[in-house]
Amino acid sequence: MSSRDSDKVAAIHRELHDHLPSEPALRVKALESLLVEKGMLDSRAVDAWVELYTEEIGPKRGAQVVARAWTDPAFKTRLLANATAAIDEFGYAGPATAHLRAVENTPRIHNLVVCTLCSCYPFSILGLAPAWYKANEYRARAVREPRQVLKEFGVALDDAVEVRIWDSTAELRYLVVPERPAGTEGWDEHKLAALVTRNAMIGTDRDLGRRTAR
Amino acid sequence: MDGPHDLGGRQGFGPVAVDEKEEPFHSDWEARMWAMDHSIRYPEDWNIDWWRHSRELIHPLDYLTRPYFDQWMQTYAALLVDSGIATVAEIVSGRATTPGPKVEPPLAAANVRKAAHHAARFDRDEGPAPGFGIGDRVRTRAHGIPTHTRLPAYVRGRNGTIERYCGNHVLPDASAVGRERAEPLYTVMFDAGELWPEAKGRRERVHLDLWESYLERT
Repeated sequence: MSSRDSDKVAAIHRELHDHLPSEPALRVKALESLLVEKGMLDSRAVDAWVELYTEEIGPKRGAQVVARAWTDPAFKTRLLANATAAIDEFGYAGPATAHLRAVENTPRIHNLVVCTLCSCYPFSILGLAPAWYKANEYRARAVREPRQVLKEFGVALDDAVEVRIWDSTAELRYLVVPERPAGTEGWDEHKLAALVTRNAMIGTDRDLGRRTAR
Repeated sequence: MDGPHDLGGRQGFGPVAVDEKEEPFHSDWEARMWAMDHSIRYPEDWNIDWWRHSRELIHPLDYLTRPYFDQWMQTYAALLVDSGIATVAEIVSGRATTPGPKVEPPLAAANVRKAAHHAARFDRDEGPAPGFGIGDRVRTRAHGIPTHTRLPAYVRGRNGTIERYCGNHVLPDASAVGRERAEPLYTVMFDAGELWPEAKGRRERVHLDLWESYLERT
Protein backbone atom coordinates (compact mmCIF):
# COMPACT_ATOMS: atom_id res chain seq x y z
CA MET A 1 0.00 0.00 0.00
CA SER A 2 1.08 3.55 -0.70
CA SER A 3 1.88 5.53 2.43
CA ARG A 4 0.58 8.90 1.10
CA ASP A 5 3.32 10.24 3.36
CA SER A 6 5.27 13.07 1.71
CA ASP A 7 8.11 12.98 4.24
CA LYS A 8 8.57 9.25 3.74
CA VAL A 9 8.75 9.56 -0.05
CA ALA A 10 11.17 12.51 0.19
CA ALA A 11 13.41 10.35 2.43
CA ILE A 12 13.26 7.51 -0.12
CA HIS A 13 14.35 9.94 -2.83
CA ARG A 14 17.36 10.98 -0.77
CA GLU A 15 18.26 7.34 -0.25
CA LEU A 16 17.92 6.64 -3.97
CA HIS A 17 20.10 9.67 -4.70
CA ASP A 18 22.83 8.18 -2.49
CA HIS A 19 22.69 4.67 -3.95
CA LEU A 20 21.69 4.82 -7.62
CA PRO A 21 24.37 5.14 -10.30
CA SER A 22 24.48 8.60 -11.81
CA GLU A 23 24.09 7.45 -15.42
CA PRO A 24 20.39 7.57 -16.43
CA ALA A 25 20.72 4.72 -18.94
CA LEU A 26 21.94 2.38 -16.18
CA ARG A 27 19.15 3.41 -13.83
CA VAL A 28 16.46 2.88 -16.45
CA LYS A 29 17.89 -0.48 -17.50
CA ALA A 30 17.88 -1.70 -13.89
CA LEU A 31 14.32 -0.49 -13.37
CA GLU A 32 13.13 -2.27 -16.50
CA SER A 33 14.71 -5.60 -15.59
CA LEU A 34 13.41 -5.38 -12.02
CA LEU A 35 9.85 -4.62 -13.17
CA VAL A 36 9.97 -7.57 -15.56
CA GLU A 37 11.13 -9.89 -12.75
CA LYS A 38 8.39 -8.53 -10.49
CA GLY A 39 5.78 -9.41 -13.12
CA MET A 40 4.76 -5.78 -13.61
CA LEU A 41 6.14 -5.21 -17.11
CA ASP A 42 6.49 -6.95 -20.46
CA SER A 43 9.50 -5.54 -22.34
CA ARG A 44 7.90 -6.37 -25.67
CA ALA A 45 5.14 -3.87 -24.87
CA VAL A 46 7.85 -1.25 -24.28
CA ASP A 47 9.31 -2.07 -27.71
CA ALA A 48 5.87 -1.72 -29.28
CA TRP A 49 5.21 1.72 -27.74
CA VAL A 50 8.61 2.98 -28.88
CA GLU A 51 7.98 1.73 -32.39
CA LEU A 52 4.50 3.25 -32.51
CA TYR A 53 5.66 6.68 -31.32
CA THR A 54 8.73 6.59 -33.56
CA GLU A 55 7.07 5.44 -36.78
CA GLU A 56 3.46 6.48 -36.57
CA ILE A 57 2.26 8.78 -33.81
CA GLY A 58 3.69 12.28 -33.79
CA PRO A 59 3.13 15.90 -34.81
CA LYS A 60 2.12 14.83 -38.32
CA ARG A 61 -1.21 13.93 -36.78
CA GLY A 62 -1.72 17.41 -35.37
CA ALA A 63 -0.66 18.94 -38.68
CA GLN A 64 -3.29 16.92 -40.50
CA VAL A 65 -5.96 18.08 -38.05
CA VAL A 66 -4.93 21.71 -38.51
CA ALA A 67 -4.94 21.38 -42.31
CA ARG A 68 -8.45 19.91 -42.13
CA ALA A 69 -9.55 22.86 -39.98
CA TRP A 70 -8.13 25.25 -42.62
CA THR A 71 -10.02 23.61 -45.47
CA ASP A 72 -13.26 22.47 -43.84
CA PRO A 73 -15.11 25.19 -41.87
CA ALA A 74 -17.58 22.68 -40.39
CA PHE A 75 -14.68 20.60 -39.08
CA LYS A 76 -13.04 23.71 -37.63
CA THR A 77 -16.26 24.51 -35.77
CA ARG A 78 -16.31 20.98 -34.35
CA LEU A 79 -12.61 21.17 -33.44
CA LEU A 80 -13.03 24.42 -31.52
CA ALA A 81 -16.16 23.12 -29.78
CA ASN A 82 -14.84 19.68 -28.77
CA ALA A 83 -11.32 18.89 -29.90
CA THR A 84 -11.27 15.38 -28.44
CA ALA A 85 -14.26 14.35 -30.55
CA ALA A 86 -12.87 16.15 -33.59
CA ILE A 87 -9.45 14.46 -33.50
CA ASP A 88 -11.15 11.14 -32.98
CA GLU A 89 -12.73 11.55 -36.41
CA PHE A 90 -9.18 10.59 -37.47
CA GLY A 91 -8.88 7.97 -34.70
CA TYR A 92 -6.33 10.17 -32.93
CA ALA A 93 -7.74 10.36 -29.40
CA GLY A 94 -5.50 8.54 -26.94
CA PRO A 95 -3.08 9.14 -24.08
CA ALA A 96 -3.49 12.68 -22.67
CA THR A 97 -6.13 13.83 -25.13
CA ALA A 98 -9.38 12.87 -23.39
CA HIS A 99 -9.93 16.55 -22.60
CA LEU A 100 -8.38 18.41 -25.52
CA ARG A 101 -9.13 22.04 -26.31
CA ALA A 102 -8.12 23.76 -29.54
CA VAL A 103 -7.35 27.49 -29.40
CA GLU A 104 -7.12 29.55 -32.55
CA ASN A 105 -4.56 32.17 -33.59
CA THR A 106 -5.80 35.25 -35.44
CA PRO A 107 -4.02 38.39 -36.68
CA ARG A 108 -4.76 39.92 -33.24
CA ILE A 109 -4.29 36.85 -31.00
CA HIS A 110 -1.38 34.50 -30.40
CA ASN A 111 -1.73 31.41 -28.20
CA LEU A 112 1.09 29.77 -26.27
CA VAL A 113 0.88 26.49 -24.30
CA VAL A 114 2.97 25.55 -21.25
CA CYS A 115 2.78 23.30 -18.20
CA THR A 116 4.51 25.13 -15.35
CA LEU A 117 3.94 22.39 -12.75
CA CYS A 118 5.16 19.33 -14.66
CA SER A 119 5.20 18.91 -18.44
CA CYS A 120 1.69 17.93 -19.55
CA TYR A 121 1.50 17.48 -23.32
CA PRO A 122 -1.06 16.01 -25.77
CA PHE A 123 0.95 12.89 -26.68
CA SER A 124 -1.53 11.18 -28.97
CA ILE A 125 -1.67 14.12 -31.35
CA LEU A 126 1.79 15.75 -31.06
CA GLY A 127 3.94 12.78 -30.04
CA LEU A 128 6.76 13.32 -27.56
CA ALA A 129 7.27 16.78 -26.10
CA PRO A 130 10.49 18.55 -27.09
CA ALA A 131 13.11 18.78 -24.33
CA TRP A 132 12.79 22.56 -24.17
CA TYR A 133 9.08 22.23 -23.34
CA LYS A 134 10.01 20.17 -20.28
CA ALA A 135 12.96 22.38 -19.30
CA ASN A 136 13.04 24.76 -16.33
CA GLU A 137 13.65 27.76 -18.60
CA TYR A 138 10.48 27.39 -20.64
CA ARG A 139 8.29 26.36 -17.72
CA ALA A 140 9.45 29.33 -15.64
CA ARG A 141 9.39 32.01 -18.32
CA ALA A 142 6.51 31.27 -20.71
CA VAL A 143 3.90 32.64 -18.27
CA ARG A 144 5.93 35.71 -17.31
CA GLU A 145 7.84 36.90 -20.36
CA PRO A 146 6.12 35.20 -23.30
CA ARG A 147 7.25 37.77 -25.86
CA GLN A 148 10.90 37.32 -24.90
CA VAL A 149 10.54 33.55 -25.09
CA LEU A 150 8.85 33.83 -28.49
CA LYS A 151 11.68 36.06 -29.70
CA GLU A 152 14.14 33.28 -28.83
CA PHE A 153 12.11 31.03 -31.13
CA GLY A 154 12.31 33.66 -33.86
CA VAL A 155 8.75 34.91 -33.41
CA ALA A 156 8.56 38.72 -33.22
CA LEU A 157 5.12 39.81 -32.05
CA ASP A 158 3.75 43.31 -32.42
CA ASP A 159 2.74 44.76 -29.03
CA ALA A 160 -0.82 45.08 -30.35
CA VAL A 161 -1.12 41.29 -30.67
CA GLU A 162 -2.64 39.77 -27.56
CA VAL A 163 -0.77 36.78 -26.12
CA ARG A 164 -2.98 34.13 -24.56
CA ILE A 165 -1.00 31.72 -22.43
CA TRP A 166 -2.52 28.37 -21.46
CA ASP A 167 -0.93 26.76 -18.40
CA SER A 168 -2.13 23.12 -18.38
CA THR A 169 -2.69 22.79 -14.63
CA ALA A 170 -5.49 20.20 -14.90
CA GLU A 171 -6.12 17.27 -17.28
CA LEU A 172 -7.09 19.56 -20.15
CA ARG A 173 -4.54 19.67 -22.94
CA TYR A 174 -4.22 22.41 -25.52
CA LEU A 175 -3.62 22.48 -29.26
CA VAL A 176 -2.89 25.76 -31.01
CA VAL A 177 -4.51 26.16 -34.42
CA PRO A 178 -2.13 28.48 -36.28
CA GLU A 179 -3.26 30.87 -39.03
CA ARG A 180 -3.39 29.57 -42.56
CA PRO A 181 -0.71 31.39 -44.56
CA ALA A 182 -1.69 33.68 -47.42
CA GLY A 183 -0.94 32.38 -50.89
CA THR A 184 -2.11 28.85 -50.16
CA GLU A 185 -5.53 29.18 -51.78
CA GLY A 186 -6.50 25.98 -53.54
CA TRP A 187 -3.87 23.85 -51.78
CA ASP A 188 -5.03 20.42 -50.73
CA GLU A 189 -4.97 19.15 -47.17
CA HIS A 190 -1.81 17.12 -47.66
CA LYS A 191 0.20 20.05 -49.02
CA LEU A 192 -1.13 22.35 -46.28
CA ALA A 193 -0.27 19.86 -43.52
CA ALA A 194 3.37 19.96 -44.59
CA LEU A 195 3.44 23.66 -43.60
CA VAL A 196 2.31 23.04 -40.03
CA THR A 197 5.21 22.77 -37.59
CA ARG A 198 5.09 21.07 -34.22
CA ASN A 199 6.12 24.34 -32.57
CA ALA A 200 3.24 26.18 -34.25
CA MET A 201 0.83 23.79 -32.51
CA ILE A 202 2.46 24.58 -29.13
CA GLY A 203 2.59 28.28 -29.96
CA THR A 204 6.35 28.85 -30.29
CA ASP A 205 6.07 29.31 -34.06
CA ARG A 206 3.60 31.63 -35.81
CA ASP A 207 4.16 32.71 -39.39
CA LEU A 208 3.96 29.54 -41.47
CA GLY A 209 3.91 31.55 -44.72
CA ARG A 210 7.71 31.60 -44.96
CA ARG A 211 7.48 27.90 -45.83
CA THR A 212 5.14 28.36 -48.79
CA ALA A 213 8.09 29.33 -51.00
CA ARG A 214 9.22 25.69 -51.14
CA MET B 1 3.62 21.70 -1.68
CA ASP B 2 5.98 24.60 -2.21
CA GLY B 3 8.46 22.48 -4.15
CA PRO B 4 10.98 23.11 -6.91
CA HIS B 5 8.43 21.92 -9.49
CA ASP B 6 6.35 25.09 -9.11
CA LEU B 7 8.36 26.98 -11.70
CA GLY B 8 5.91 29.49 -13.19
CA GLY B 9 7.42 32.99 -13.08
CA ARG B 10 10.70 31.97 -11.40
CA GLN B 11 13.52 34.16 -12.66
CA GLY B 12 17.16 33.71 -13.52
CA PHE B 13 17.01 30.60 -15.69
CA GLY B 14 18.24 32.15 -18.93
CA PRO B 15 17.35 31.44 -22.54
CA VAL B 16 15.36 28.47 -23.82
CA ALA B 17 17.50 25.93 -25.73
CA VAL B 18 15.60 26.30 -28.99
CA ASP B 19 18.09 24.56 -31.31
CA GLU B 20 17.01 21.03 -30.57
CA LYS B 21 16.86 18.30 -33.18
CA GLU B 22 13.23 17.41 -33.83
CA GLU B 23 12.98 13.69 -33.17
CA PRO B 24 10.69 11.66 -30.92
CA PHE B 25 13.39 10.41 -28.56
CA HIS B 26 16.92 11.72 -28.09
CA SER B 27 18.26 8.44 -26.68
CA ASP B 28 17.26 4.83 -26.17
CA TRP B 29 16.96 5.11 -22.42
CA GLU B 30 14.51 8.02 -22.76
CA ALA B 31 12.43 5.96 -25.15
CA ARG B 32 12.48 2.95 -22.80
CA MET B 33 11.46 5.05 -19.81
CA TRP B 34 8.66 6.84 -21.62
CA ALA B 35 7.30 3.57 -23.00
CA MET B 36 7.64 1.80 -19.64
CA ASP B 37 5.42 4.46 -18.13
CA HIS B 38 2.75 3.42 -20.62
CA SER B 39 3.27 -0.31 -20.02
CA ILE B 40 3.72 -0.83 -16.27
CA ARG B 41 0.98 -2.72 -14.44
CA TYR B 42 0.94 -0.98 -11.11
CA PRO B 43 -1.05 -1.48 -7.90
CA GLU B 44 -4.56 -0.05 -7.81
CA ASP B 45 -3.77 2.57 -5.20
CA TRP B 46 -1.26 4.37 -7.42
CA ASN B 47 -2.70 7.16 -9.51
CA ILE B 48 -1.44 10.07 -11.61
CA ASP B 49 -1.74 12.59 -8.78
CA TRP B 50 0.15 10.51 -6.24
CA TRP B 51 2.72 9.89 -8.98
CA ARG B 52 3.07 13.61 -9.72
CA HIS B 53 3.37 14.39 -6.02
CA SER B 54 6.06 11.74 -5.67
CA ARG B 55 7.98 13.40 -8.50
CA GLU B 56 7.64 16.78 -6.78
CA LEU B 57 9.28 15.20 -3.71
CA ILE B 58 12.58 14.58 -5.53
CA HIS B 59 15.26 16.63 -3.76
CA PRO B 60 15.25 20.17 -5.22
CA LEU B 61 18.84 19.93 -6.46
CA ASP B 62 18.03 16.73 -8.35
CA TYR B 63 14.67 18.06 -9.55
CA LEU B 64 16.28 21.08 -11.16
CA THR B 65 19.31 19.29 -12.62
CA ARG B 66 18.57 15.62 -13.43
CA PRO B 67 17.28 14.79 -16.95
CA TYR B 68 13.52 14.77 -17.33
CA PHE B 69 12.95 11.05 -17.95
CA ASP B 70 15.51 10.19 -15.30
CA GLN B 71 13.11 11.86 -12.88
CA TRP B 72 10.37 9.54 -14.13
CA MET B 73 12.65 6.62 -13.34
CA GLN B 74 13.33 7.90 -9.84
CA THR B 75 9.62 8.53 -9.24
CA TYR B 76 8.76 4.93 -10.11
CA ALA B 77 11.64 3.73 -7.94
CA ALA B 78 10.37 5.76 -4.99
CA LEU B 79 6.81 4.48 -5.45
CA LEU B 80 8.02 0.88 -5.53
CA VAL B 81 9.96 1.35 -2.30
CA ASP B 82 7.14 3.29 -0.64
CA SER B 83 4.64 0.54 -1.49
CA GLY B 84 6.93 -2.17 -0.15
CA ILE B 85 7.17 -3.78 -3.60
CA ALA B 86 10.94 -3.37 -3.93
CA THR B 87 13.93 -2.38 -1.84
CA VAL B 88 16.50 0.23 -2.80
CA ALA B 89 19.01 -2.62 -3.21
CA GLU B 90 16.73 -4.37 -5.73
CA ILE B 91 16.33 -1.13 -7.69
CA VAL B 92 20.08 -0.58 -7.80
CA SER B 93 20.80 -4.15 -8.92
CA GLY B 94 17.79 -4.59 -11.20
CA ARG B 95 17.31 -8.06 -9.71
CA ALA B 96 14.28 -9.14 -7.70
CA THR B 97 14.99 -10.90 -4.39
CA THR B 98 11.33 -10.97 -3.34
CA PRO B 99 8.17 -11.80 -5.32
CA GLY B 100 6.24 -9.05 -7.09
CA PRO B 101 2.83 -7.69 -6.11
CA LYS B 102 -0.44 -9.42 -6.96
CA VAL B 103 -1.43 -7.53 -10.09
CA GLU B 104 -3.05 -8.46 -13.39
CA PRO B 105 -0.59 -9.60 -16.08
CA PRO B 106 1.23 -6.61 -17.59
CA LEU B 107 0.20 -5.00 -20.88
CA ALA B 108 1.15 -7.26 -23.78
CA ALA B 109 2.70 -5.98 -27.00
CA ALA B 110 -0.36 -7.16 -28.92
CA ASN B 111 -2.53 -4.75 -26.91
CA VAL B 112 -0.36 -1.65 -27.25
CA ARG B 113 -2.10 -0.37 -30.36
CA LYS B 114 -5.43 -0.56 -28.55
CA ALA B 115 -3.96 1.16 -25.49
CA ALA B 116 -2.67 3.94 -27.76
CA HIS B 117 -6.31 4.73 -28.57
CA HIS B 118 -7.42 4.76 -24.95
CA ALA B 119 -7.98 8.24 -23.58
CA ALA B 120 -8.26 8.13 -19.78
CA ARG B 121 -10.98 10.51 -18.64
CA PHE B 122 -10.91 12.62 -15.51
CA ASP B 123 -14.38 14.16 -15.69
CA ARG B 124 -17.15 12.66 -13.56
CA ASP B 125 -20.94 12.85 -13.52
CA GLU B 126 -21.04 13.26 -9.75
CA GLY B 127 -20.02 16.23 -7.60
CA PRO B 128 -21.68 19.55 -6.85
CA ALA B 129 -23.25 21.87 -9.39
CA PRO B 130 -20.88 24.68 -10.44
CA GLY B 131 -20.95 27.59 -8.02
CA PHE B 132 -19.52 30.08 -10.52
CA GLY B 133 -20.74 31.26 -13.89
CA ILE B 134 -18.86 32.45 -16.94
CA GLY B 135 -17.65 36.02 -16.42
CA ASP B 136 -17.69 35.80 -12.61
CA ARG B 137 -14.79 37.52 -10.89
CA VAL B 138 -12.95 35.18 -8.53
CA ARG B 139 -9.95 35.30 -6.23
CA THR B 140 -7.66 32.32 -5.83
CA ARG B 141 -6.80 30.84 -2.46
CA ALA B 142 -3.94 32.74 -0.82
CA HIS B 143 -2.01 29.78 0.56
CA GLY B 144 -0.67 26.49 -0.65
CA ILE B 145 -1.02 23.14 1.08
CA PRO B 146 1.80 20.83 2.19
CA THR B 147 0.65 18.00 -0.08
CA HIS B 148 -0.18 17.88 -3.81
CA THR B 149 -2.12 20.70 -5.41
CA ARG B 150 -2.42 22.15 -8.90
CA LEU B 151 -2.74 25.77 -7.83
CA PRO B 152 0.66 27.24 -8.73
CA ALA B 153 2.25 29.75 -6.37
CA TYR B 154 2.25 32.48 -9.01
CA VAL B 155 -1.54 32.71 -9.10
CA ARG B 156 -2.28 32.48 -5.39
CA GLY B 157 -4.36 35.31 -3.95
CA ARG B 158 -4.93 36.80 -7.42
CA ASN B 159 -8.08 38.06 -9.12
CA GLY B 160 -9.27 36.39 -12.28
CA THR B 161 -12.35 35.80 -14.39
CA ILE B 162 -14.15 32.52 -15.07
CA GLU B 163 -13.71 31.89 -18.79
CA ARG B 164 -15.23 28.42 -19.02
CA TYR B 165 -16.76 25.64 -16.96
CA CYS B 166 -15.06 22.36 -17.93
CA GLY B 167 -17.32 19.91 -16.10
CA ASN B 168 -16.63 18.19 -12.80
CA HIS B 169 -13.14 16.70 -12.69
CA VAL B 170 -11.29 14.55 -10.16
CA LEU B 171 -9.59 16.86 -7.64
CA PRO B 172 -5.83 16.08 -7.61
CA ASP B 173 -5.38 17.38 -4.05
CA ALA B 174 -7.75 14.63 -2.84
CA SER B 175 -6.73 11.77 -5.12
CA ALA B 176 -3.04 12.30 -4.31
CA VAL B 177 -3.90 11.31 -0.74
CA GLY B 178 -6.10 8.43 -1.84
CA ARG B 179 -9.56 9.97 -1.91
CA GLU B 180 -11.41 10.46 -5.17
CA ARG B 181 -13.63 13.53 -5.23
CA ALA B 182 -15.01 15.38 -8.24
CA GLU B 183 -15.32 19.14 -8.22
CA PRO B 184 -16.28 21.78 -10.78
CA LEU B 185 -13.26 22.71 -12.89
CA TYR B 186 -12.98 26.09 -14.59
CA THR B 187 -10.65 27.79 -16.99
CA VAL B 188 -9.77 31.02 -15.22
CA MET B 189 -8.29 34.00 -17.02
CA PHE B 190 -5.80 36.38 -15.39
CA ASP B 191 -4.50 39.63 -16.83
CA ALA B 192 -0.70 39.44 -16.83
CA GLY B 193 -0.66 42.77 -14.96
CA GLU B 194 -2.47 41.09 -12.07
CA LEU B 195 0.29 38.48 -11.83
CA TRP B 196 3.50 40.36 -12.60
CA PRO B 197 4.31 43.94 -11.60
CA GLU B 198 6.24 44.59 -14.81
CA ALA B 199 3.42 43.36 -17.05
CA LYS B 200 0.90 46.15 -16.37
CA GLY B 201 -0.63 47.34 -19.63
CA ARG B 202 0.71 44.46 -21.71
CA ARG B 203 -1.76 42.62 -23.89
CA GLU B 204 -1.16 39.27 -22.22
CA ARG B 205 -3.53 36.92 -20.48
CA VAL B 206 -2.70 33.76 -18.61
CA HIS B 207 -5.28 30.96 -18.39
CA LEU B 208 -5.23 28.14 -15.85
CA ASP B 209 -7.62 25.26 -15.22
CA LEU B 210 -8.57 25.51 -11.55
CA TRP B 211 -10.94 23.62 -9.27
CA GLU B 212 -13.79 25.24 -7.36
CA SER B 213 -12.14 24.84 -3.93
CA TYR B 214 -9.17 26.90 -5.18
CA LEU B 215 -11.47 29.87 -5.75
CA GLU B 216 -13.63 32.34 -3.86
CA ARG B 217 -16.00 35.00 -5.12
CA THR B 218 -14.82 38.60 -5.04
